[in-house]
Parts: sequence; structure tokens; C-alpha cells
Amino acid sequence: MPQDLSISFAPHIRKPLSTQRVMLDVLIGLIPLVAAAGIYFRLRALLLIGVCVVGCAVTEWVSDIIRKKPGSLGDLSAVVTGVILGLSLPPALPFWTAAIGSVIAIGVGKMAFGGLGANVFNPAMVGRAFLTASFGMLMTTWTVPATIDGNLPQVGPENIVDARTQATPLGWSKIAIQDQNGAAIYSARQFLPILTGNIPGSLGETSAIAALLGGAYLLIRRTIDPHIPLAVLLSAFVFAAIAYAVNPDAYVQPFYHLASGALLFGAFFIATDPVTAPLTRRGMWLFGLGVGAITLLIRIVGKYPEGFMFAVLVMNGLTPLIDRLFRRVPVGGKPRVG
Amino acid sequence: MTTAIQDSRSFAGGVHPPEGKHLTEDRGIEPGPPTKELAVLLSQHIGAPAQATVKKGDVVVAGQQIGECKAFVCAPVHSPAAGKVKDISLLPHAVLGRTLGVIIEAESPAQPVPPSFQRPAGFDPNTYTPERICDAVRNAGIVGMGGAGFPASVKIQPDAKVPKETLIVNGCECEPYITCDYRVMLEWTEQVITGVQLVARACGAKNIYIAIEDNKPKAIERMGDVLQKLGASAGIRVVPLKTKYPQGGERQLIRAVIEKVVPTGGIPPMIGVVVTNVATAAAIADAVVHGRPLTHRVVTVTGWGIARPGNYYVPIGTTVQTLIDHCGGPTGDVAKVVLGGPMMGIAIADLSTPITKTGGAVMVLTEDQIGRDRFEQRQTPCIRCGRCLQACPENLNPTKIAHAVKCNLMDVAESHFISACIECGCCSYVCPANIDLSGYIKTGKIFLARRKKKMPN
Repeated sequence: MPQDLSISFAPHIRKPLSTQRVMLDVLIGLIPLVAAAGIYFRLRALLLIGVCVVGCAVTEWVSDIIRKKPGSLGDLSAVVTGVILGLSLPPALPFWTAAIGSVIAIGVGKMAFGGLGANVFNPAMVGRAFLTASFGMLMTTWTVPATIDGNLPQVGPENIVDARTQATPLGWSKIAIQDQNGAAIYSARQFLPILTGNIPGSLGETSAIAALLGGAYLLIRRTIDPHIPLAVLLSAFVFAAIAYAVNPDAYVQPFYHLASGALLFGAFFIATDPVTAPLTRRGMWLFGLGVGAITLLIRIVGKYPEGFMFAVLVMNGLTPLIDRLFRRVPVGGKPRVG
Repeated sequence: MTTAIQDSRSFAGGVHPPEGKHLTEDRGIEPGPPTKELAVLLSQHIGAPAQATVKKGDVVVAGQQIGECKAFVCAPVHSPAAGKVKDISLLPHAVLGRTLGVIIEAESPAQPVPPSFQRPAGFDPNTYTPERICDAVRNAGIVGMGGAGFPASVKIQPDAKVPKETLIVNGCECEPYITCDYRVMLEWTEQVITGVQLVARACGAKNIYIAIEDNKPKAIERMGDVLQKLGASAGIRVVPLKTKYPQGGERQLIRAVIEKVVPTGGIPPMIGVVVTNVATAAAIADAVVHGRPLTHRVVTVTGWGIARPGNYYVPIGTTVQTLIDHCGGPTGDVAKVVLGGPMMGIAIADLSTPITKTGGAVMVLTEDQIGRDRFEQRQTPCIRCGRCLQACPENLNPTKIAHAVKCNLMDVAESHFISACIECGCCSYVCPANIDLSGYIKTGKIFLARRKKKMPN
């Protein structure tokens, strides 16, 4: 019998689930989205995601050295940030711009706060917000998927001048608010491309089916709770439905809102980032409802066609307050004082 | 069998660790190692330690009282074997570090054999007065054998202010790997039921439940059958509970069985409930009917690191080393030896630590069984995933409390109700970052107790 027995607190066994495994599950869940990006935007999409992943990983590695901390690349969180950032970018974005976004995402969005678990804002969204503010033109240039015959636009008004780039479905619906022709923007024929992703847009946001597939994987693996995605989609649907009910000429149907833009991708992969979302179930609902509501407010009355990124960042900032609001009370009630 | 098995009841939260009961569940209670030398501790319970009544060199007989108690919350200690007092000295104790104990050299190294329990013909608990039952239990030194070790006589005595209306007998054994209570329920069924009837008589309980997790269908069936045979099935109900850790935790058990909530910081008698373990019930029957003190208990020796796992009837005071040797010794690399189960048991460094009345299991764990990360205590940052919140059976926020303790912010820890923690370890078990949440919380409780001067530094 060896005499060097180990001593520690109970429990002496552990569920075989590590942070690394959680992150790996998120990466597996992202596979359908990356595949969809590859199908619609070809090799360039994959290279762009690759640049983001490498950029995030290198930034994390350098930050660890500067902070004199043990290497944290093994937890794969930087890779997750890289893939999500890559998927949130327009297909034609120059590689150097994506690299800058990656450095900001990890360097400013995460490591400056103290690394994994300490950041207030979703790192990928910090990177993307920086790029949106700095390179507005590049960040709103939407290439048509390679699978579309440029002369036959599937979405939007019939007469397209430029065949290479187009507005996104949300861009058209923004114009429709001015022109009061929401019904013309979307028709039943055009719903299918929105589901499959055969439309212009950011790499990861075009295909609703891919986002649902990946989200389903995360839910089945219990990597994420269903509360945040449900709350986001529910509140987005309700706000879209209200707008549609008020003026069906100007505003598109709620289902188009849910399926287009970053809502599905974000509801499952961005808003559910545990570090920047509330801990309690009720907090998660409030957070999700807020994200959905702000997204739709920006889409309907704001200047930008898409507002998911801002909605997540705003709610990230409110997360500590939400956690404070919904404090957990023991099953046996609050203990009597004294 | 006619015992109505309802849908298995449960509580919110909790975890499902691998059960591991297959290692020992089909092994009957066997005689333990031959008694040569026993180290009987004088503090085997919650409350004041017993005072030694023997001196070095004294000759003792089996069952003789060797430690008496003067305080109210206390339990006497008896010698499990005939022999000579070799010494009275400080001995290793799993929780207290070192405590006084009596070392007894047995006169003949015989293997302990479980005494047969004879339920008297036409047994009627009403022929015993509550005072007589409580006295017998107190004199026999019986404490809660499920782990806490609260003196049973204090627990079962009637209370005029809050009548103890409900008795829940805890046969859950929700800790993974442990099977000692399961074997007691299967093999000593009559004795357990007799004990239950006596406890009910003593505390005056009208509603009596025997709660068993539904991963022990044989025990549920056997308990129902014997109740039927003894004609006691009218007053005592067998309640199957969902298999989930910590189903056998007192507060969770009460919530599952009678859907009542014990107030935070309170104890079950405050809502008129008495909870007792099946092994305790068996010991009470032995004490009241046969007048035998609590000197032996069933111990499960298990884990991946032991050659012959099993359930053994051992005298209290047997050292862990003796038990491990008796079970064929360790196989391969042993990383940890734990008194109790893997979720709440206490890792010991000194194998001369003796078995006490509360120690139902000795686990010999290998590194594989513990898991490398857990063994090396490799912690990564909290990712706020909230798994600990979902697992907490007391609806607390473990990560918030643990990190408050880590930063020595005890007011924050208290504002998140650190004292309501039952230390079940579910939070640490599920944490993907492998943070020792329950360890921090236990440490925080000690900080608080010291601050309030309830505990020496």
C-alpha cells in the first residue's frame, strides 16, 4: 500500500465534462454553419474563418505570454471566438481586416479583462463592432453566393444593376419600410433561399437550416440551455408580429425576420455564450427577451438593417445587473436573522 | 405484494453519478477480519466526547461500556470484544484529526459473526414505553449510522411542543458505490422493521415511510413482502424514490416523501419529522429487544483499487488498514482511500484510522476512477455556465458563494446564503472547470464559524 495517499475535499469523482469538451461541442455545433458558408461562398469563406481562428489563437497565445500566465489555448475558447467572428463577417472582407478584428476580439474583448470567464462582452461581437465602426464600407459589402446566377436575383427587386454584390434580405426590408412595399420584398417563392442560405449576407447568418441544425446539436448535448434561444426568438417574433400587424405594407412577416440576418445563428451561438450571459434561469429569460427586442427595434426603427450585434453587447453590459436582480433563494427560504 | 408503488418521487436539482453498486450489491454480509486489536474512539458522534471509564490494563468483556457520557447530546461507547485495555491515547480520526480512543487487545482473534436477531413472537411495540426505548437506545450508544452521527436517543424522544408525527426511514443510500444499507435491508429486513416500529412508538409518529431509491427494486420488494408477513403493512408504507444524488439527504428526502420543506437553518423535528437510517433502525431493534450495545456495523469496502470488494460485518475500532488487507489488499496504484462514499466521504492519509459507528464504507480509489483532472486538482476559470446552479438541490448559487470565499468576501458569501449549503458536492461534481466549489464553501463556513467564535482557530 503506497503511503503517499492523496487528500482533498469531497467529491472524489467528477462528471467527465471539461471546459475543453464544452468548447469542442460548440465547435461541432458550428460545423453546419461553416459548411454552409463553404458551399455558398466557396474557399474564400473558409479562408476568412481560418484567418480569424489563427488571429484569435495567436492573440491569445501572445497575451498569455505578456500576462505571464500558463497557455490557455487548450480550452479551445479562442478557436470558438475565431469561428464565430469569422462567421459574422461579410464574405468579401479583406483578410487583413479580419485579422485586425481577431486581435481586437481576443486582445481587447477578452484578455484585457483577465481572460476566459472574466470578460464582460462577447469577444467576437467586440471584434465585429470594432470592424463595423472602423471599416463601415467593407463591413456592408455583401457578395452574392457563388451558387446564384448573378443575373437572376432570388431576393429583392427584379432589376439588379450590380450582379456581384447585393443588399441582404434585411437591407431590402429596410428599404421597404421607406417604400412601403414589404410584400414585394419577400414572397413565398423567396422563403426557401432564406432557409437554405442561398442569399447574400454574413458567412454564418445566411442559412437558417444550418443554424437550426447546429443549435439542435448544442441542445441535445446540453451544451446550452434552451432558455436564451427561446427567449430571443420569442421576443423577436413578438416584436416583428406587432410591426407587421401595425403596417403589413411596410414591414415584412415575422417569420422572415426570424429566418434572416443573424437571429438564428446568434440565438444559439452568440447570446448563449455563458461567460457573458446571466447565471439564473429567470435572468436568462430577461437577457434573451432583451436581445430579441433590441434586435428588432434596431431592424424596424433603427438606422442599421441588422442589430443583433448591438443587442447582444447591450445585454452583455446589463448581465451583472440582471444577476443581481434574480438572486437565488434557498429552498428552505431565507434564514431567519439571529 | 400489495404495497402501492407510486410514481417515484424526487426533488429539484441533484446529479446522476455512475452508481458503481454492481461491485458489491450482490455480495452478502460476510464476517469481517479477525479481531486482534481494536481502536475504539471516544468521539464517534456529534456532541460532547464520551469520557473513558476504563484504565490502562483493565480487563473488559464484550459489550462492556468503556466510555460514558455526561452531556445531553452524547453517546456512550462500548467494547466490541473481550480483552485488555492496552492504552488510552490520541488516535487518528477522519474529521477531528486526532481524538482520544481506547485501544483494546482482544483475548482471542475470532472473526466477528453477525448475531441472529430474534423478533419476539407476537411482537407488539406498544408493550415498550417510549422511556424504555429511549433509555435502551441511549445506553446502547446508538448514533445516526448514515453518516452524521447524531445521538439517536435525542432524535427519537417525544417532543410535547412539536409532536413528531412523521417518521421517514432512510433506505435511499444515494451515495454511489455504497451498498451496506442495501444489504441490511435485504438480509436483516425483520430487524429493520422491528426497529422502525420501536422508533415510531418512541417518538409517537403516526405516518411512517420507508424510502428506498428505485435502483434497489429487490429491497423495495423484500421490504414490502416482510411488512406484509409481519402484518405491519397497514401502518408503514414503502415509498420508492427516483434514483438521484442526494436523494438520501435529509432535506431532499423529506421534500420527496411528504413534500414539506425544512426551513433554512432548521432541523426536521421543527416540522414534526424524524428521519432515521435503516442501519440505525436495525441497531435500535437489537438494543431494545436484546439489550445489545452498538459495537459492530456493516461496512462496504469497495472501489476500483481493492481486490475483493464486499460488505463486511466488522467491530467498531477495526482499522482501515486491517479491512483493506482482509479484502485482498490494493490492486495497482491506489490514489486515495476514502471513508464514506465518493461524493461526501473524507479522504484519509493515515490508514490506522479506525472504523466508527458512522463509517459505512471504505473506498479504495485509483487515479482512473477519480479522473486525472480531479486528482491533480487542475482548475480552470469559471465560465459561468450555470451547471452548478442547476445541480444545487438547495437552489443556491455555488459559483458566486465559492468565488466570494476565494476573495475572502464573507459578507457576499453570506448574502448568497452560504449557511444553507448541505455540502453534498453536486456543484463540484458537475463543474466543467473542475473548480472545487463545495470545498471553497466548506472552507467559508469554517471562516464564518471562527469569526463568530464558535470554533477555535
